[in-house]
Amino acid sequence: MAILVAGLTSGALYALATIGLSLVWGSMGMLNMAHAAMLTLGGYVAFTAITTLGLPLPLGFLAAVAVGAVAGAALYAGIVRNLLRNDKPLFEANVMIATVGIGIALENAILMGYGGQPLRQPASILGAIRIGPMTLPYQNLFIIVVVILMMIAVSLLLNRTRMGRAIRATAQNRDAALLMGVAVNRVYLQVLMLSGALAGVCGILVSSMTQLSPPLGNDLMLKAFIMCVVAGLGNLPGAVAAAFGLALLEAFVQYAFGARWGFPALLFVVIAVLIWRPSGLFGRAEIRRM
Amino acid sequence: MSVPVLDLSQIVSGYDVINVLKGVSLTVGRGELVAVVGPNGHGKSTLLKTISGLVPLRSGEIRIDGGTMAGAPHLVAASGVAHVPQGDMLFAQMTVLENLLMGAYLAPDRAEMQRRLDEVYALLPKLADRRGQIASTLSGGERRMVGIGRGLMMGGRILLIDEPSLGLAPLIIEQVYGVIADLCKSGRTILLVEENPARLEGLADRVHLLDDGEIVWSGKPADLMARDELLTTYLGA
Repeated sequence: MAILVAGLTSGALYALATIGLSLVWGSMGMLNMAHAAMLTLGGYVAFTAITTLGLPLPLGFLAAVAVGAVAGAALYAGIVRNLLRNDKPLFEANVMIATVGIGIALENAILMGYGGQPLRQPASILGAIRIGPMTLPYQNLFIIVVVILMMIAVSLLLNRTRMGRAIRATAQNRDAALLMGVAVNRVYLQVLMLSGALAGVCGILVSSMTQLSPPLGNDLMLKAFIMCVVAGLGNLPGAVAAAFGLALLEAFVQYAFGARWGFPALLFVVIAVLIWRPSGLFGRAEIRRM
Repeated sequence: MSVPVLDLSQIVSGYDVINVLKGVSLTVGRGELVAVVGPNGHGKSTLLKTISGLVPLRSGEIRIDGGTMAGAPHLVAASGVAHVPQGDMLFAQMTVLENLLMGAYLAPDRAEMQRRLDEVYALLPKLADRRGQIASTLSGGERRMVGIGRGLMMGGRILLIDEPSLGLAPLIIEQVYGVIADLCKSGRTILLVEENPARLEGLADRVHLLDDGEIVWSGKPADLMARDELLTTYLGA
């Protein structure tokens, strides 16, 4: 049971990180390599809001969400919009390289601002609930509940709102969306802001399980990329399923064979999937849109 | 004479260094169906894409109801141009209903959206039966109907239809052209691109023959069908 809870907690974190990545890839054909740094930024913003400014926990969350969304908007306005305007055929490669640079710069800015020493994330809930012989930490349950709520919110946004329909339409057929009157550049901005906001929340939740440090998001993003590839880039429900499935696999492998075998097991799965189904378990063969 | 709904004046457009359209001029009056025929690869689809903004206009002028229009496709759509592109270009993972609602993306309110939806279902009742079906699972003919329905949902001033018969079985083509005939009777303004001029008799008010990016002949469909030398030279008939 403890392994199951640990696996579900990791799965929830992976799912949240994966949704942010997958949303951006699915609608724009953009691998946002700065997502890890945006996630880290969210953790530090919550730290500053709660510790330095003395704001209550919910406002710390809101601050991380807001700054994440603003970071997404800045990424669009400063980089993505110009790359889209300049050379669309090379957009996918150019934006990947550009966001690697942005990610490194942001991580180093955080390092300069806060230092390299690990900090404790105040946005965490202490204590645990005991059910018979089992101990379930409140923090794990909190993470699972928050991520489930976030996924429901994203699902409602994408399926029940005009903005969400425009995002899905742009992802499925950009030219047809344009012909229907969708301002796709505005959709791209909205998607990056949404992804940034999700990264903000994810940063708080991850750092509440570990500690705050400038490279906080890197490990999670590496695994989130694996989940995205296994699911099929751009497939949101598939990404969530892959995140939970692989997190549980990782937890069980770590329990059975030792912690050091968890990540190699994930790599083995992604290699097998790439050989067996290059478009991912739930992916479609055609994915280029720009 | 009243202002035409669509007025193209010497439009030039193309891809990279190539001009595909080399000065095309034509008009479409209110309630008219004007057709453009021509061989493959000579600019018919590019013409519609230029009007709807998918291919940038290099020179010339496009007027809708007398107002100059050119720019990004979403702005063109907002000015009343509904483009039913070649090959449907549906949102493959959306349902029929969601595809139709995307057509009404710019509708001012829900009431107007519902009014258009009722109108489309009245014209294409099969779409009402299929409303919950995912678009990628539809047959070719059904997909074409959804494409036309989605174009109608835009509530535009003019409907641009690109080769509605492409890739369909003869029986389905008849059904599609039956719908287009109904649209004509209801007074819609349509610019239709078609490869087979025989389908335009009794349907189109005027037809333009487009060859190598230029209009080389204009007249009534029946006159075109009577000109064997044109059919042989330009359409391989």
